[in-house]
Amino acid sequence: MSLLKYYTKGILSNRNLWFWGVAFMLFWLVLGAYSFAQGIPQVALRGYTASWYGTIALYSLSSLAISVAYSIYFAGSSLVYSFKYTKLTPLSYIGTLLGSSSVLGILLSAIMLASTYGFYTARFGLNLVPSDPLGAIAVSALAGVFMMTFAMLLVLIVVNYVGLRSINLVTFVPLILAFGLGFTSLTNPLPSSFLYASPYNAIQALLYSAYSGSAAPVQLDNPASAALYWPYLLISLVAWIVLLLVVDSILLRRLKPRQLEEGRQI
Amino acid sequence: MLQIQDLEVGYGKSSEGAVLKRVDLSLGEKEKAVIVGPNGSGKSTLFKAVIGLVQIQSGSVKVFGTDVGEERGDTRVSTNLAEVYRLAYVPTRDIVRIFADLKGGNPEDALKMFHEFELDSILSKRVHELSTGQQKMFGNIMAVNFSPKLILLDEPFDNVDENRRRRLIEVLKNRDSGIVIITHEFNLLPRLGDWGLYFMLEGKLWGRFSVSDLDRLYITRGEARDALKIMETSLGKLSVTLDHGDIQVKTASNVNALLEQV
Repeated sequence: MSLLKYYTKGILSNRNLWFWGVAFMLFWLVLGAYSFAQGIPQVALRGYTASWYGTIALYSLSSLAISVAYSIYFAGSSLVYSFKYTKLTPLSYIGTLLGSSSVLGILLSAIMLASTYGFYTARFGLNLVPSDPLGAIAVSALAGVFMMTFAMLLVLIVVNYVGLRSINLVTFVPLILAFGLGFTSLTNPLPSSFLYASPYNAIQALLYSAYSGSAAPVQLDNPASAALYWPYLLISLVAWIVLLLVVDSILLRRLKPRQLEEGRQI
Repeated sequence: MLQIQDLEVGYGKSSEGAVLKRVDLSLGEKEKAVIVGPNGSGKSTLFKAVIGLVQIQSGSVKVFGTDVGEERGDTRVSTNLAEVYRLAYVPTRDIVRIFADLKGGNPEDALKMFHEFELDSILSKRVHELSTGQQKMFGNIMAVNFSPKLILLDEPFDNVDENRRRRLIEVLKNRDSGIVIITHEFNLLPRLGDWGLYFMLEGKLWGRFSVSDLDRLYITRGEARDALKIMETSLGKLSVTLDHGDIQVKTASNVNALLEQV
């Protein structure tokens, strides 16, 4: 239990996470409320607000993946030693990260949820309270876990098979995917089969639904586009998490010892 | 306690990259030993092989009868290598608590030792924020706590002041566990009493001698007839002899100086 507590504390003390994952995202939420919101009819305000929450919370959660990735990378030698000469096991370590990332996912998403409500309610003079805050919290916990499992997969592939010189490239993949997929589905009608299969879009759409109280459209800024069925989105996200957990636990058992210096690259 | 047979470790693919060359070492329960060797001789790599931090090319390392590749959850082995204490990005006080939990020990014992070594101030810093000497003492204190049965100490006295060195030696002498120290310094060895003594030169391990015989050990160029051991090095053959020879080991402050004299 102490590792869960102190690991979470360690991630929370990461200033990069607070800047890129919170402050920078709040900046975009403010822009969404005060700069981009021109001529939106009152009936569309809830959907507009929910699309900003879903997208920005996704970006914020993806920055958590970067913190988790670096924490695993820097702990590499310690993990090899600890699996052999302490009571820590690969499964208990994954369990620690599961617990921690779900808590952090909830925290980041809750900040975005409260901020979205505050900014957009103040801007539009309408009480835009989230329809299902508990649902949003539950999805955020799952999203945090997904980001952790995905970040762990990337780091373990680099450590075990590719070499640490690629670490700085790979750790940003979750963030790049979040920006790419999140923004694309905001303004483009992607095929619904793709949106169901993509865990990023599933997170974005589920958060949208939890905020707005209605099904997410395939194109978030066009409420008239076809609606997504939320249980399929949830099943997709959970399936991705289960799959990644299985692969992570296999790769973590084969964790190769590496010297951190190997990752140093100018 | 520790059995190493024909161990070979290297960082490159060619034989020129070999750091450890057919190393053999066998230490029984509670045995205490020192491995001395110049910088770059492979001492730290030997420890990393035991801990599992380098990949073994051939040979075997067994710790308490289990191959190091198969080791899982054996809390009896500890080390002072700072890199193994980076499980979380938190101050060292929290690292102490994490490892006390993972080792099944009492964190207060270790925290009390930090206080006794007047190192309370480092407990609020993260491992990477510590000076080299502070990192070394942090690792040393972590290694000797939580009831280990085999303690591996890599250059435990490096950048540590004389007062703390003296107190650390007393702690180590009073520990009821096997201890292996690797160092390149000779001047502290006489304080270790009858510990085993090994030389590591160019990736090969030579011994066993005794620290208590340090005053009587000499190095002689070539093959001496009554040599205790003949070490093959790039300098040629070097004989370890008792009571006579070219250079008395204890007159050199460290192995680097000794080899320069040879």
